[in-house]
Amino acid sequence: MSKEVFSQISPSEFFYRNRDLAGFSNPTRSLYTSVREFVENALDACDHRKILPDIHLSIKAVDPEQADPKHYILTVKDNGPGIDPEHIPLAFGTVLYGSKFGLKQARGMFGLGATMAILYGQITTNKPVTVKSCSDGKSLDEFVMLLDIQKNKPVIQKHTTKEASKTGLTVSIVLEGDYSKAGSKIRDYVYQTSLITPYASITFEDPAGEKFHYARIVKDMPRPPTVIKPHPHGIDVETIRRMITDTHYQIPAIDNKMIDKVKKELGLKKNLSPKEILERAQKRWSDISKPVRTVISVMSFLNIDFEGLQKIRIDDIDVANKTITYWDFGESQSHAVELSPDSPYYKQIASTVQGDTLLTFLTKRFQRVGPTTAEKFCEFAKFKPDKRIGSMTNEELVKLADALQKFEEFLSPDPSCLAPLGEEPLSKGIMKFFNPEFAAVWQRNASAYSGFPFVVEMGIAYGGDIPPNGLKVYRFANRIPLLYDEGSDVVLKIVNETEWARYKIKGDPPLVIVSHICSTRIPYKTVGKENVADRPEIERELKNALQYLARKLAVHMSRQGAADMAKKRANLYSKYVPLIAQFATELAGKKKEPNYNQLIRMGSEIEEQV
Amino acid sequence: MRLKNKSNAKTAETRKKRLLSMLEQQGLSIYENLDKGKFPQFVIPSRSVSNIVYDKKIRQYILGSASAVRSSRNMSQLRSYTQLAWLAFFVNRLVREGKSSTLRDIYYSSQAFSIDFEDQPESDNIIVDLEAVLTSPREEFHIFPEERSSVFGDLTIEYTVPGYEGKRMNLSDHPDGYLIGPSLSSAELVDTSAELVIAIEKGGLFTRFVEEKVHQKFKAIIVDTAGQAPRSTRNLLRRLNNEMGLPVVILADGDVYGEHIAMVIKSGSANAAHLRELTVPDAKWLGVWATDIEKYKLPTIPMTESDIKRIYDLQKDPRYQEGNWKKQLEVFLKLKRKAELEAFSKYGLTNITDKYLPAKLEESKSF
Repeated sequence: MSKEVFSQISPSEFFYRNRDLAGFSNPTRSLYTSVREFVENALDACDHRKILPDIHLSIKAVDPEQADPKHYILTVKDNGPGIDPEHIPLAFGTVLYGSKFGLKQARGMFGLGATMAILYGQITTNKPVTVKSCSDGKSLDEFVMLLDIQKNKPVIQKHTTKEASKTGLTVSIVLEGDYSKAGSKIRDYVYQTSLITPYASITFEDPAGEKFHYARIVKDMPRPPTVIKPHPHGIDVETIRRMITDTHYQIPAIDNKMIDKVKKELGLKKNLSPKEILERAQKRWSDISKPVRTVISVMSFLNIDFEGLQKIRIDDIDVANKTITYWDFGESQSHAVELSPDSPYYKQIASTVQGDTLLTFLTKRFQRVGPTTAEKFCEFAKFKPDKRIGSMTNEELVKLADALQKFEEFLSPDPSCLAPLGEEPLSKGIMKFFNPEFAAVWQRNASAYSGFPFVVEMGIAYGGDIPPNGLKVYRFANRIPLLYDEGSDVVLKIVNETEWARYKIKGDPPLVIVSHICSTRIPYKTVGKENVADRPEIERELKNALQYLARKLAVHMSRQGAADMAKKRANLYSKYVPLIAQFATELAGKKKEPNYNQLIRMGSEIEEQV
Repeated sequence: MRLKNKSNAKTAETRKKRLLSMLEQQGLSIYENLDKGKFPQFVIPSRSVSNIVYDKKIRQYILGSASAVRSSRNMSQLRSYTQLAWLAFFVNRLVREGKSSTLRDIYYSSQAFSIDFEDQPESDNIIVDLEAVLTSPREEFHIFPEERSSVFGDLTIEYTVPGYEGKRMNLSDHPDGYLIGPSLSSAELVDTSAELVIAIEKGGLFTRFVEEKVHQKFKAIIVDTAGQAPRSTRNLLRRLNNEMGLPVVILADGDVYGEHIAMVIKSGSANAAHLRELTVPDAKWLGVWATDIEKYKLPTIPMTESDIKRIYDLQKDPRYQEGNWKKQLEVFLKLKRKAELEAFSKYGLTNITDKYLPAKLEESKSF
């Protein structure tokens, strides 16, 4: 099982200044957003490790007597994999310390929201966050910590360890919130989340102590999404620049770990001179990993041994000017060394810095691009296939990004990164939640917009326990309920454009529609991420799904109509035929009534005359 | 003393037997169908406008040959079929037990049998359906409307209603007149000294006629039609004409409605086209004619728009296409004024009985 890679990328202060964008504009919204972030993180963690989620959410007032807005303790406990103790301070004590950088469908994008919630809680109440985690099923680490906003660093107040028997993570924060206003949305959120996550068991304990429990409906996890490479159509210039940067410029950070690695790959037990090291490397070159080769190349140019390596930091490798610039900690000054093209290591350095050829870059870094397609693309974009991507100018990068968008021969995106719920779990969830007289679900095939794959799955339910209050639409995106800004959503648009009378639906029907859009990037209309924009490709898929389901409903309605009619007939004939018999008996002057049972049966069975 | 002409009259008893026999036939038919697992049905002559035609030979509106089937097989007709079966059943009881009912009473009685009429118009319609099925007026079913008209004069009747069977009564004993109700309608007409029947539109003049002893002066039986004559009244007029051989004359207001009151007594209404024996084809309309208004210089009032519209309507009726009926409509239309029977009071309270009536009776011998 792969470990998630954590990396630190940006300071807390930025988010403090932009907290409105992240959904923390007021106590009502902040409480709701915090609930969402923690619950979604918990579900994502369980999904990732194929653990059937068991989520406990509780909101308790610090002082119940006080009026809203007031301080609340928000706690979310899951049975997920937990987090290694060494990562906890960074994961919860800094902003933008994410683990979700791969391209796959997940509820949150970068795992930032939870940190934002912690930050919001700290700003409004000056109380620390408490994180309890058990990742090995043996020991549980409890951290109590604050964020240092200026330095984007965690300040650990307390760290204890005790024995545990199950993995899982519990996060508890104190924050200012307004439950009296946010309560109904939070309850809706929990309800709808349970509907779209029928494999989870979710319990919510509200400030009044009332428990809302949603039991697990299905025991099978849906197939988890796989991490995939991006599709060329879904790329912009900035993304390409980043991709190129992290491909070609992997000048390894030289720390003790790296030095140990170099020694190990070279099979060195003791320190050798630079010359001896190079000799040893030459013999084993084909077995040495790429980062180690680069380090050795650098050592050759700088003519240093491991001791010397420990004292420097490589700042720049400028192939064009054939120089290496490094910082010497011992002398506290910068040095530049010439790269000689005659050196056998020059090519190694140059290819590391300039990166792959365009052809290799395209086939290695993008999905659905083979050598043939890549060559066709190079011809289309007027680039040489063996052009080194590290040597591209800004203009060339823009030209490349532009051509990637315009080239039409790329295959459509790979949907394996998507994780729709699946027809069976969706159907079971709908049956359990609404107990309808009729339900149908449909999962469309994957489609794509602008290089992003997406899948639409939809369910329809009619009658039964659904109240006849008119059509109700439950909208989901990547297994998250969308509760706000209903009016401008593409799903609502499609539903409202449907002529329901054509499907034998009239008045205020007891009708529920569940719509779930899965994508690596949901095209939200606003930063609030509550309504999906009407991209034509998505609109078309939604329309097809809805029409298919509506037709099924219409067939049901016809059958139901016929069944109702038969029932009505049976009732009418049972009521009237005995009366007719009674009257006829007296009229005819008979004593005994005729045997009319046969007629009641026939009356109930005959088809309506046309 | 004029005695009843038994040869061409149906007595109340024979009419009752005929009705009960028809009801039994219907009952037997339904019974057998039920027993055989067949859906029973009623055949009802169609009363739609297209099936109402004027029969010149018998001088009344009749239904054409079109008929509708009300079948218990058709779910949408099952309820009204049952209602009709119930009514036949209920009428059978009424007639056998000699009990009377009213339109309203039928509507309420239905509730005791789980026959749910939505309102009285619905039950009234079913009654008309049964009239059409049995070609008999509802009065023969012992079902009467609420409104009543009256009769006065030397006419001896013999009751057939239970408790009064065989009891006789002379209709000149009580000066307010006698209500033409269920017991009078079912009574046998025994004998009379009268030589004429005067049907008059208004209760006020009916009383005046009694006071003026018109019944003696003209040897007449006086009938108050109370506006458009109810069917029981029309049936009595017909029986007086048919069974007792008395000519019938009609006095009504000098307007288009008065003219039509006379016409309905003479040749029936489109509403009752499914029924016979409600008409008096030889009845004579004495007045007040439009021409009388000028001739007797009667005080008049202007016609309303609906009066005039009614004239145009009646001009399309086949019975108004010739003779005096046609002429009077034209004169009314020309005058655009009308006169009531009371208009004669201008020349004295007894003017109508002293002058007008004798003159018109004399005149009537020539038409």
